Amino acid sequence: MTILSEAIIEREARILEEIKLVEGSNLWAIVMRRMKKSQMGMIGFYIVVSLMVMAIVAFIILQYDALFGLNNPTNDPYDILNYYVEIWVPGTDKYIRLIAHPSYIIPGDQTLAPNANYPFGTDTRGFDILSRTFFGSSLSLILGIVGQMTTSVLGMIIGAVSGYFGGFFDDVVQRLNEVITAMPGFILFIFVVSIFRDIASSIPGGLYMIVIVIFALIGWGGTSLIVRAKILSLKQTEFIEAERALGAKDARIIFKHIIPNSLSPVIVITTLGIANTIIQIAALAFFGLGDATAVTWGDDLAYHRDNLLTYWWMPTWPALMIFITILGFNLMGDALLDALDPKQAAG
Amino acid sequence: MIKISLRSYALRRILYLFPTLLGISIISFALIAASPGDPIQIRLGLWIGEQPEYEEVYNQVGFDIGVLDENGEPVSMFVRYFRWLGLVKDQYGVRSGILQGNLGNSWFYTMSGNIGKPISDIIVGRLWYTLFLTTPAFVISTILATIIGVIQATRQYSLWDKGVTLASLIGFSMPVFWLAKLVMLTAFYLFNFTGATTGDAFTEPFLINPRFYLFLILPTVTLVLTGLVFLSRLTRSQLLDILRQDYITTARAKGLTERRVIYKHAFRNAMLPIITVVGLALPGLLGGSVMVEGVFGWPGLGSVFLTSALQRDQPMMMATNFVFGGMFLGFRLLVDLSYAIVDPRIRY
Repeated sequence: MTILSEAIIEREARILEEIKLVEGSNLWAIVMRRMKKSQMGMIGFYIVVSLMVMAIVAFIILQYDALFGLNNPTNDPYDILNYYVEIWVPGTDKYIRLIAHPSYIIPGDQTLAPNANYPFGTDTRGFDILSRTFFGSSLSLILGIVGQMTTSVLGMIIGAVSGYFGGFFDDVVQRLNEVITAMPGFILFIFVVSIFRDIASSIPGGLYMIVIVIFALIGWGGTSLIVRAKILSLKQTEFIEAERALGAKDARIIFKHIIPNSLSPVIVITTLGIANTIIQIAALAFFGLGDATAVTWGDDLAYHRDNLLTYWWMPTWPALMIFITILGFNLMGDALLDALDPKQAAG
Repeated sequence: MIKISLRSYALRRILYLFPTLLGISIISFALIAASPGDPIQIRLGLWIGEQPEYEEVYNQVGFDIGVLDENGEPVSMFVRYFRWLGLVKDQYGVRSGILQGNLGNSWFYTMSGNIGKPISDIIVGRLWYTLFLTTPAFVISTILATIIGVIQATRQYSLWDKGVTLASLIGFSMPVFWLAKLVMLTAFYLFNFTGATTGDAFTEPFLINPRFYLFLILPTVTLVLTGLVFLSRLTRSQLLDILRQDYITTARAKGLTERRVIYKHAFRNAMLPIITVVGLALPGLLGGSVMVEGVFGWPGLGSVFLTSALQRDQPMMMATNFVFGGMFLGFRLLVDLSYAIVDPRIRY
C-alpha cells in the first residue's frame, strides 16, 4: 500500500513539474526555443542584436558631450564642434584619440585608401569612413525600425477598427486601400516625398521625419488587411462573446484580446518589413531625395554612388552595412515565420 | 454560386479598372493640391523672366498652366481637376483632358525656351523602352524561377539546393540599385562595358538598331536577377508544401515515376500559388524597373518619372502615376485571368 502510494506521488510530482515547465514558457519562450533550432535564424538574430548594440553605443557616444555640456569647456569660439572622440586617461591630462567625429573634415586627408590610420579610408570630403559607418548606424536603423513600427501600428489600429465595427468605415477603408495598393509602392513613395519635402525645410533635419510619416501613411494597407481578416474570424469565437457578455467595452476587447491574438503574423511582417523599409529609404537617398546633411548609410552611399570604379572603398562600406542589416532582418524574419507557424508546431 | 463565363468575368474586371484609375487620379491630384510651394514659381524657375515684367510673366504663366484665370485670381482645385479630366472647358475654352487623350504639357521638358512638350508624346515615346525592358525580364525571370524552384524542391537539402538558397538569400538582401551597380562593375571588368546608355542606342527605328539590344542586356540581367531571387524562394517553398500532401504519397504508392509525380501531380497544383506569387512580385518589378532605369540611364518611363519627381514637374508626375498605376492594374488583371487557364476547377 505504501509502495503504491509512493509511486503515485512520484508520478504526480513529475506531472506537476512538467506543467510548471509549460506554464513558465509563454508563447515567446516557445518561439525562442523553436528559433534556436534554426541555425540561420540565430545568425540573423545575432546580427540584428549586435547592430542594435552598435547603434545604441554610437548614439550615446555622439550625444555624450552634448548631454553633459562637455563639448566646449573653455568657451573657445573656434571649437564649436567636437573633432575627435577621445578617452581621458585617468590621473593625467592626456586623451587617447579613438575616432574622428562623423562630420569633422580631417584637414589634408581627403581620398585616402584604407590604411593603418583610417581602416576604412577617407572620402572625397575628408570624412573618416569608419566613423561615418559606425555613427551612421544609429540613424539608419532608427529610420528603418521606427518607420516600419509606425506602419505596423497604424495598420493594426485601422485593421482592428474596420474589422471590428464593419459598416461604412470598413467600406471606405477598403476602397482607399484598393486605390493605394493599385500603385507600385516605391513609385508612390517617391511621388509623395518629392512633393512634400519642402515642409521639411522649416524643421532642421526634419526630412526623415516627414519620410517616416509618409511611409506609414502609404504602407498600412498590408498589415490592416491581415489584422482585419483575423478579427473577422475572431469575432465569432466564444471567448469574445463571453467577454462581451461580461460587459467589456469595445476598446478593451480590441486592445486586450483581438490585437494580442493577431500579433504573430504582424510581428513577422514587421521584421521582414524593417529590411524593406531600410532598402526603400536608402533607395530614396540614392535617387536624390535624401538629406545630404544626415549621417546615414543611405546618404553616404548616394553621395559616392559614382565612385565605385575609381574609389571603391567609399560606396562599398555603407553598401555592405546596408546589406548585412537587411540580411540579418531577413534571416530573423524567416526563422520567426517558421517558429510562429502553427503548421510547423504539429510536425 | 453563380457561374459566369471567363469572358464576362474579364469584362467585369476591365470595367472595374476605371473606378480604380479614377481613385488613383483623385488621390494624386489631392496630394499635389495639398503640397506646399507655389506651382507657378516652380514653373518660373525654368523660365527666362526679367525683373521689371515679373508680375506680368507670373500671371501669364499662371494662366498658361491653368492655375490663375485671366484676372490673376486663383482657379479652384475642383475646376482644375475637372479640367484635367476633360469635363470642364479649360482656360482656352476647349475641353482637353484625359478623356480626350490629352495629359497636358510638361513643366520640365520644354521645346523651345518656354513651351512645354505635350506629355502624351513623351510618354508614348518612352513607354516602349520600359515595356521592352520589363516584359522580357518578367517572362524570363518567371520561367527561370520556376525551373530553379522545381529543381531545388525535388533535391531538397542537396548541395545544389543549399547553394542556390544561400545565393538567393544574398540576392534578396541586396538593394536593387546596388545590385545594378555591381552588375555594371562586373561587366566592366569582364567585357570593358558598363552598360550605361549612350544616345546612339536610341536612334529610330530602335527595333532594328543592334546598339539598342546591346544596351538592353545589362538592365534586363539586373531585373531578371531581382525577380529571380524573390520568385525562386517562394516557388521552392510552395512546391515543398505540395510534395508533403497525401495525394503525392498516393501517386508514389501507385508506382508512378518520380518525374511523372512531380510534373503531372505536384507541379500542376503548384502553378496556382506560383501565379499568386508572380502577382505579388509585380509592384516590386515595376519599382525595380524605376531603380534599374535610374542607374543605367535607360530613358524609359522610370527615368522620366524620377526626373519629374526631382524637378517637381507636377503634370508629368500625375501622368506617370496614372500610367504606372494602369500598367500595374493591367499586369495584375492578366495574372488573375491566367488562374482560370491554369486551374480548370476555377469558375467565376
